[in-house]
Amino acid sequence: MTKRISVVLSQGQSRNPEKRKLEEDLVAALIMESGVDVTVVPHLYDLTPDGTGMLALRNIGGDAVILSWLYPRAARWVLDRNNIRGQEGISLLKGLGEGDEDDEDLEDELEDEADDDKDRVADSRPNPPRKIYCLDLRAYDDANTYVEEIRRIVRENGTPLVQLTGWLGGKPKNGEAMQRFLEPTNDTHLGAARETGRRDAGGNGEPAPEAPPVVRIEENAGRRWYPVIDYSRCTNCMECIDFCLFGVYGVDNVETILVEQPDNCRKGCPACSRVCPENAIIFPQH
Amino acid sequence: MMGQYEARFPTDRRYAKKNHTWAQRSEGRGAWRFGFSAYAVRLLQDVYFLDWQVEEGVNVTEGQEIGFIESKKAESDLYAPMTGRLVRFNGELLDDPSTINVDNYGAGWLFEIEGDGQNLMTPEEYLAHLESVWEVTQRTIKGQMNE
Ligand code: SF4
Ligand code: SF4
Repeated sequence: MTKRISVVLSQGQSRNPEKRKLEEDLVAALIMESGVDVTVVPHLYDLTPDGTGMLALRNIGGDAVILSWLYPRAARWVLDRNNIRGQEGISLLKGLGEGDEDDEDLEDELEDEADDDKDRVADSRPNPPRKIYCLDLRAYDDANTYVEEIRRIVRENGTPLVQLTGWLGGKPKNGEAMQRFLEPTNDTHLGAARETGRRDAGGNGEPAPEAPPVVRIEENAGRRWYPVIDYSRCTNCMECIDFCLFGVYGVDNVETILVEQPDNCRKGCPACSRVCPENAIIFPQH
Repeated sequence: MMGQYEARFPTDRRYAKKNHTWAQRSEGRGAWRFGFSAYAVRLLQDVYFLDWQVEEGVNVTEGQEIGFIESKKAESDLYAPMTGRLVRFNGELLDDPSTINVDNYGAGWLFEIEGDGQNLMTPEEYLAHLESVWEVTQRTIKGQMNE
């Protein structure tokens, strides 16, 4: 059986007709692809933790591609904060501003990662085996580039791979959570809309004649502004929690830093992002 | 005076020099309400996106960066037209910034700032100012047409 993959298109905030067209071209193209379920949500960063958008995203248990108007790193850690986790899928598309001439930057980055004897929060936090690919819609203007890359991702994941079980070394505390990681149960969610769609076609990958499998979620909670922590960089040093006067940061039950009260954050302040010694604090809208 | 384009500059308000906004005392309050002048809208054309970088209630100084705008013709930072306390943004514009194009002197207002407004210009002064920068303007507009 072919594995299905969920593609989430997170719409931009701008009404620029060219950007809107790219989004709609993508949806139109992706519903023709076999093995792909499409969900359209508002701008990822603006979604509230308990809103329908995040709920729908949490219900996706399998591999997912997230198309958003954000840096992949920002998208990934926004999802992480909302308990939407997985292995980082590696896209072959170049990111925004990642031309050939920027090889130097890339080297810098690799170097950064190489001289890494520090403990990062992410090292002690296992992710479920499913993959999440984040693609930046600002990087290319034509839908085709993204569709091609998604096809490649579908192929990459359609082939059974040797399971990467290295992450199991970390001794998860909670057996039930582990079970959820290993056997995501997305198939039962978001049911109604999708069951009438292609899934009825007998699993042979042929599109059903009607009801394209697109779930569109509207949510208007307005613009938000808050820090996002990149845990692959964060060392849990607590500079940010000491610095912020507005109680935005807190710690979880194992004393790991987290953005606890995002909506307390002052728009335009981003002072904590400058005090973080690891450059781990992201303000995607800045 | 704007070539083939008609531009209205109502005389019941004042104008800020640098960023081509109008200002009008909001009724019963000590705040000035600001919006784009016809000249600014002409340069921007259709507005697609607007965002503010400061919170309501903070003090701003003239020239401070307070937001960002994306339109058909420009992506640009927005600056405070005067010093004072920024008391209110027009929240409606975040959802639908096209009101700026439809009604720039009314429902398309941008924000309100409390302050004395002594650096604001009268309409006559503003028009004189536009005349003085007309050459630059013409070049800008021609540039747009040649795109
Ligand atoms: S300052 Fe940076 S590295 Fe330190 S805890 Fe905060 S986010 Fe993590
Ligand atoms: S940006 Fe300012 S208010 Fe927001 S979390 Fe950082 S220090 Fe706190």
